[in-house]
Amino acid sequence: MAYAYLFKYIIIGDTGVGKSCLLLQFTDKRFQPVHDLTIGVEFGARMITIDGKQIKLQIWDTAGQESFRSITRSYYRGAAGALLVYDITRRDTFNHLTTWLEDARQHSNSNMVIMLIGNKSDLESRREVKKEEGEAFAREHGLIFMETSAKTASNVEEAFINTAKEIYEKIQEGVFDINNEANGIKIGPQHATTNSTLSGSQGGQQAGGGCC
Amino acid sequence: MKDQRSEKILYGEMTQRNRNFPVFSVCLLIKTVSLTGGINESVSSLIITNTLSWFFCLFRGLFSKKHIEPKSPSQNVPGWKLFGKVAARESPPKDSRTIQQEYEARAGKAGSGGTSPTQPQHGRRKNLDFEPLSTTALILEDRPSNLPAKPVEEAQRHRQEYDEMVAEAKKRELKEAQRKRKEMKERFKQEDSIANAMVVWNHDILPNWDNMRNTRRVRELWWQGLPPNVRGKVWSLAIGNELNITPELYDIFLSRAKERWRSFSETGSEADDGASLADRESSLDLIKLDISRTFPPLFIFQKGGPYHDLLHSVLGAYTCYRPDVGYVQGMSFIAAVLILNLEEADAFIAFANLLNKPCQLAFFRVDHDLMLKYFAAFEVFFEENLPRLFNHFQISNLTPDLYLIDWIFTLYSKSLPLDVACRVWDVFCRDGEEFLFRTGLGILRLYEDVLLQMDFIHSAQFLTRLPEDIDSDRLFACIVAMPMLNGNKKWSQVSSSKHKKTGK
Repeated sequence: MAYAYLFKYIIIGDTGVGKSCLLLQFTDKRFQPVHDLTIGVEFGARMITIDGKQIKLQIWDTAGQESFRSITRSYYRGAAGALLVYDITRRDTFNHLTTWLEDARQHSNSNMVIMLIGNKSDLESRREVKKEEGEAFAREHGLIFMETSAKTASNVEEAFINTAKEIYEKIQEGVFDINNEANGIKIGPQHATTNSTLSGSQGGQQAGGGCC
Repeated sequence: MKDQRSEKILYGEMTQRNRNFPVFSVCLLIKTVSLTGGINESVSSLIITNTLSWFFCLFRGLFSKKHIEPKSPSQNVPGWKLFGKVAARESPPKDSRTIQQEYEARAGKAGSGGTSPTQPQHGRRKNLDFEPLSTTALILEDRPSNLPAKPVEEAQRHRQEYDEMVAEAKKRELKEAQRKRKEMKERFKQEDSIANAMVVWNHDILPNWDNMRNTRRVRELWWQGLPPNVRGKVWSLAIGNELNITPELYDIFLSRAKERWRSFSETGSEADDGASLADRESSLDLIKLDISRTFPPLFIFQKGGPYHDLLHSVLGAYTCYRPDVGYVQGMSFIAAVLILNLEEADAFIAFANLLNKPCQLAFFRVDHDLMLKYFAAFEVFFEENLPRLFNHFQISNLTPDLYLIDWIFTLYSKSLPLDVACRVWDVFCRDGEEFLFRTGLGILRLYEDVLLQMDFIHSAQFLTRLPEDIDSDRLFACIVAMPMLNGNKKWSQVSSSKHKKTGK
């Protein structure tokens, strides 16, 4: 399918925080209460529309266990966006954010957009990390922040799409060198002919549908 | 009114999908029944029959050989046999005119309002006739009196079309019956060969293991797949026990693990030497979290499932036995497959020894450099055997780590259907690590044509989530076609040269 840009994303964070479930909700619009555990890396893809342009997201969903860090590190290369996920019902997953962030900053392109995600927002009664704490952490480290629920789909679209918008803005501002694929952005075949049938920024709207 | 609507829908569906015979017959069945008023009952019995037969198919292969007498030939006469429960029609097919007359006679009775004792209106089961008489009549039925009659040619054409449909459907059913018969025959043959193999393994091979394991005959039989009830035994023997673990030793480590869980859950901390509290906590927590994510569709390792505690014990005891390796994701799948085939202590012994093999140790210690050397060796044989696909992957930047990590960590138990994975394990026990990489090549060969058409992301998605209907014979045929020879170098030579090259 024709697209204007292709963005590579990587999803990182402790094991069991719901990385694969977020991806499944975003690509397939469904929730699996007991998801297989991810070993190594799994993949997802979806087309979205931003500013009337078709953008293909190529998403790398990584294993969360500490032991796999050395493997995960090699997957940052060429990522334009990262979703750093913790579980609002497990404080330790929040406490580990700093080391994740260090890893991400060290092994990725400096312009990589990082979205901090507090997942499982549907489990309010078991909450261990306040929303304000997530916001504060994000502010302090210059990240975008959202609380999501892969189960109810709340904010899932927004999390993926807002990250893409941020990347897109950086391209417009000329921060990203789009000719260098190490930045995680590829120009698609459709780029030359600006597609104006879908106009405006379409944040949370149905965009692209299933996998592409 | 309601009836009319359902007729319309059913008829619409029938004409629209009459290429699909099962749907066709299901529609006929429902239609037949609805005329006598028992639609709900028939639909639910249909669902039950389907579910049962599905269950039956699912478990049939798992349990020991059961003989089912093949159907008598008379039952295989083509007819409107819909499901196993209902006897096939044995009377000669009626022509459509007779059918129509019969239907009219019935409809007349029903329409006259009198409830004749032989034709109860509410379609009690015993009176249900599953022959699609009424349905066929429905199609040929003259139109309601308030509509103009069909012209003769049109009526004739309809009748002819209808006859063709019926003939077509019959042909399909005949074909289907033949296919089923063939399938059953295959299955019996397969079960016979499993039974025979079982005898050979139990009486000839296992008692003379050391002398026979490397004979050509045994190796060939081994390749065919081990019969399920000797599988665990053969795996144990083949994996060996160079660590000299005894069941008593397992008990010691298990009680140590239990002690840790207890003290951990009581005080929320533990004062012991070794790893930091955080590490240990995450390891204990992680095992719990991962057990529920191990073969979730089987529902036997999840909390409350029959093997939940067993899996917990084996993994817990292992982390006490090998704190230097600890618990690493992927282990739960290996332990689970062993538990399915072996007694608890034997499963532990096989597990610990299996993870002590060089390749497994490299992976579970997540020794990245060493892993890269295994991938490099794999690529040598990949290029040798499948140069086109190798090139295609090179161009699209698809490196082998992306799919091999999952395959090797879980020994294919997560990525292949369990029965196929067990057969891979069989030969892995025979041939060692080389076979893991050879299986990888077999999978790539099996899907080479599809993969050649795919870009990076599609191939990566495909390989990290393989189709669920992989057939083991087809896969093994592909594996056979992947000789592990590079020039005259074998896997062990290539892989050790990779290991040396970078000075490790």
